[in-house]
Amino acid sequence: MQSTPLIMTTTLFLIFTILIYPVLTTLSPTPKTTTWAVLQAKTAIKLAFFVSLLPLFLFLNEGTEAVITNFSWMNTIIFDVNMSFKFDFYSVIFTPIALYVSWSILEFASWYMHSDPYMNRFFKYLLVFLIAMIVLVTANNMFQIFIGWEGVGIMSFLLIGWWYGRADANTAALQAVLYNRVGDIGLIFAMAWMATTLNSWEMQQIFVSAQSLDLTPPLLGLVLAATGKSAQFGLHPWLPSAMEGPTPVSALLHSSTMVVAGIFLLVRAGPLMENNPFILTTCLCLGALTTLFTATCALTQNDIKKIVAFSTSSQLGLMMVTIGLNQPQLAFLHICTHAFFKAMLFLCSGSIIHSLNDEQDIRKMGGMHHLTPFTSSCLTLGSLALTGTPFMAGFFSKDAIIEALNTSHLNAWALALTLLATSFTAIYSLRVVFFVSMGHPRFNSFSPINENNTAVVNPIKRLAWGSIIAGLLITSNIVLPKTPVMTMHPSLKLAALIVTILGLLIALELASLTNKQFKPTPKLLTHNFSNMLGFYPPIMHRLPSQLNLFLGQFIATQMVDQAWLDKVGPKAVYATNLPLITTTSNAQQGMVKTFLALFFLTFLIALLLLAA
Amino acid sequence: MLKILIPTMMLIPTTWLAPSKHIWPSALAHSLIIAIFSLLWLSSPGETGWWLLSNLMALDPLSTPLLVLTCWLLPLMILASQNHTSAEPVNRQRMYLMLLTSLQIFLIIAFSATEVLLFYVMFEATLIPTLILITRWGSQGERLNAGTYFLFYTLAASLPLLVALLILQKTTGSLSLLPLPYAAAFPLISVADKLWWAGCLLAFLVKMPLYGMHLWLPKAHVEAPIAGSMILAAVLLKLGGYGMMRMMVVLEPLTKELSYPFIILALWGVIMTGSVCLRQTDLKSLIAYSSVGHMGLVAGGILIQTPWGFTGALILMIAHGLTSSALLCLANTNYERTHTRTMMLARGMQMLLPLMTSWWFIATLANLALPPLPNLMGELMIITSLFNWSWMTIVLTGGGTLITAGYSLYMFLMTQRGPVPQHILALNPSHTREHLLLALHLLPLLLLILNPTLVWGWTA
Repeated sequence: MQSTPLIMTTTLFLIFTILIYPVLTTLSPTPKTTTWAVLQAKTAIKLAFFVSLLPLFLFLNEGTEAVITNFSWMNTIIFDVNMSFKFDFYSVIFTPIALYVSWSILEFASWYMHSDPYMNRFFKYLLVFLIAMIVLVTANNMFQIFIGWEGVGIMSFLLIGWWYGRADANTAALQAVLYNRVGDIGLIFAMAWMATTLNSWEMQQIFVSAQSLDLTPPLLGLVLAATGKSAQFGLHPWLPSAMEGPTPVSALLHSSTMVVAGIFLLVRAGPLMENNPFILTTCLCLGALTTLFTATCALTQNDIKKIVAFSTSSQLGLMMVTIGLNQPQLAFLHICTHAFFKAMLFLCSGSIIHSLNDEQDIRKMGGMHHLTPFTSSCLTLGSLALTGTPFMAGFFSKDAIIEALNTSHLNAWALALTLLATSFTAIYSLRVVFFVSMGHPRFNSFSPINENNTAVVNPIKRLAWGSIIAGLLITSNIVLPKTPVMTMHPSLKLAALIVTILGLLIALELASLTNKQFKPTPKLLTHNFSNMLGFYPPIMHRLPSQLNLFLGQFIATQMVDQAWLDKVGPKAVYATNLPLITTTSNAQQGMVKTFLALFFLTFLIALLLLAA
Repeated sequence: MLKILIPTMMLIPTTWLAPSKHIWPSALAHSLIIAIFSLLWLSSPGETGWWLLSNLMALDPLSTPLLVLTCWLLPLMILASQNHTSAEPVNRQRMYLMLLTSLQIFLIIAFSATEVLLFYVMFEATLIPTLILITRWGSQGERLNAGTYFLFYTLAASLPLLVALLILQKTTGSLSLLPLPYAAAFPLISVADKLWWAGCLLAFLVKMPLYGMHLWLPKAHVEAPIAGSMILAAVLLKLGGYGMMRMMVVLEPLTKELSYPFIILALWGVIMTGSVCLRQTDLKSLIAYSSVGHMGLVAGGILIQTPWGFTGALILMIAHGLTSSALLCLANTNYERTHTRTMMLARGMQMLLPLMTSWWFIATLANLALPPLPNLMGELMIITSLFNWSWMTIVLTGGGTLITAGYSLYMFLMTQRGPVPQHILALNPSHTREHLLLALHLLPLLLLILNPTLVWGWTA
């Protein structure tokens, strides 16, 4: 059918137009009314979501994929960069999900940010972010990916630093950009390698021409890029710090869309990686380390947003493990399901934080189940989905991942770490639920608790539906290109559930222990490693920056520029010339008699010499 | 060529004959018309050859973008200087405008000269108005020292160039740029030949400036008035890059090995100047050091001598010209209000001048090379061509991009974000003039995204 590709391409551009239009209207000098955020920005995203369903259905029905190359952007003699969009399995499925989640989050933000004088600007930033994200997802060449990649990075800078009067917010924003920039070096490296070796940045050309080459270096670059963007171990501290931003930002950028960009890049690069065991092992180990490490950090956090952030990081680690298992489609599936329940968890925590007068410490919450029944139910629901409770969204992807992991013959160490992290998921999820919604209230008496607002309930409700059925919907409608192993030993099949339940039981036991004091004075151990985030930020944020700042101040500025270069350059010229000048000028002091006497003497000597 | 050059010369009578009330508007309008007409140059015939040939002047894809940038910058300089010269007597204002105009004339001839010696003479001639700008119109006592540094660094390096050019003239019989690429390369064997090679490039490397010979630049930037800083960052440094690209074709066989130390120095300079920027307290000095770093990348791109390297260098020169000039204008708007260049003393500007913050933000993003701005295209091409030369360069160039992002955002956060300090009581609101000035800087930059091939140089 001829019209199908036409519909696909048209809807793609319709989505872009719908999203860009409200941004463009803000360029007009007349200030926008306060309703702009809801009426224009949110509506645009909602509309874009419905429009994006059309290609999704076309894809599900007919399996249509499309690549549009429409504008020769720049070309050197033999190297072309085009504007090229790709509407394939990944982007067709991810775009509606991103738009759906953003729609809910923007609606929630209209409640959460209602007292902010710059709410319109906030919505504009979110819109621009979303556009950058869709550019990234639909890009068919490395340059466009880079545009989207940096675009989401810089919007995350702006949004984390939204409350720019606070030093913490600014530091966190800078930190996010710097960690991402480290990853960008990897992306730039890979792009430079592709340009010089493959002479193209177009995806399909890369896939074709790279088949017989050793791709380890550029793939390492891409893994580094993903490490930065998706907060894998080594470049992970920015993600929990990014929780300085408003909660809708955390929900949109730092859980469901932007942070998965790194994994998404690797998913895109899947065809390059599948025959490279070294890179796969690297991803596997990196992911396993990340998922366990961040799950460990999540265990002892007290800030509700930080716990959710670390759990995001842990899930990103799991996705990386999946990439390492050479199952990019499964990783992508987890990206999709994760978006729903993680965004919802953030919205729930945002609602609770708002209700408790901006209190984020879970120790000062409690008993919310009676006061905000809807939010806390959804918090529980999200936690269940996160732990992979059967038939919730998380189950379909997480269980499949763990099954794939159990049936593979790869690095057992990485597998063990991942399983351990899976059980930790149950522990910290229970901890959040236990502290927030169970027990007795531990907050001040006059908290403005009120969740009865459609702008709170509806978005969370929509995401809750997503968390319940998205996994089923997606898995029953798509055919994964790689056939999963269907038959396995029951212990392998049930491993994910068993470790999760074990974790849950341990956590319950620990929780009940806290209520029973066995010893009159309990000997409390401080969980230094976990609390201090593995001592990683104190070391890595001090040592390298101190060295670099030392280099900047004492070596580059003082020693080289102000001392040596000056001393051997201008000052040396000055110093060598000065004696000459002073001697010559000192000689000229207008002492006529002496000069004449000297002149006479020389003249005499010359005469005598000539005469002789 | 004369269509631009003669109107530019006629700017001098305009400034002197216009009634005192109309000096600035008429000079601005006049120069803006010139700038707009210069845009016609960009619609090149499409081939990579020369066009608009006359006896001494011509255009080619390399010089055109730089010429247009030069013409574009004069109205911006006039716009930027309007405030700080307003307290001066009228005749001094006229004098000042004449100074800027003369600089423009020299620059136009320098970029369009087909005779290397004419280029050389104009290259030197630009020193005079710039020196006057720095030492006469600067605001502090240190300007004299800065002027000395500026003059002696550039002069000391450019005299060997004259000798080297005369030797070239003696060997090839012509210094015209048209036949020069085809001239038989002369045998380069002895040490003296290598010195000749160095002589040909040294002047430009100092002008760029290459790390190690850059001391004059921060001083000159800090001391110069706004127009001086702008033209210095935007165009004068690019004279160095332009000259290098022109000389490279002549130096062909020797450059491959001899350029190694310079490439390394340039790239090392990116890291070092970036680190210096991270510790700067002085806003203008920070921007100046960042220029050194960016021009180091340009130098690396040129010395690597690949089409990508040249193209990247040219794009980065144009993009950096607009960006650094915009940043200096922004620094100046702060300076005119707070009377300090120290970043600690002028913070939290977003609260006071919110629209300025968006200009700051765009300029910062351009400085840290956000895709798809032309800055990134240039940097990416240079990084790629350096990478093609040696993989290890990615450590320096990649580290450079990291540090660049670090100090650019540090500058942005320091000046714009955070609480407003107590001592800032009553600031003038921003003028339309200032917004126009910045829009005229940043709009071309943004528009270049759509058609970067305009500044692509020879590989277009």
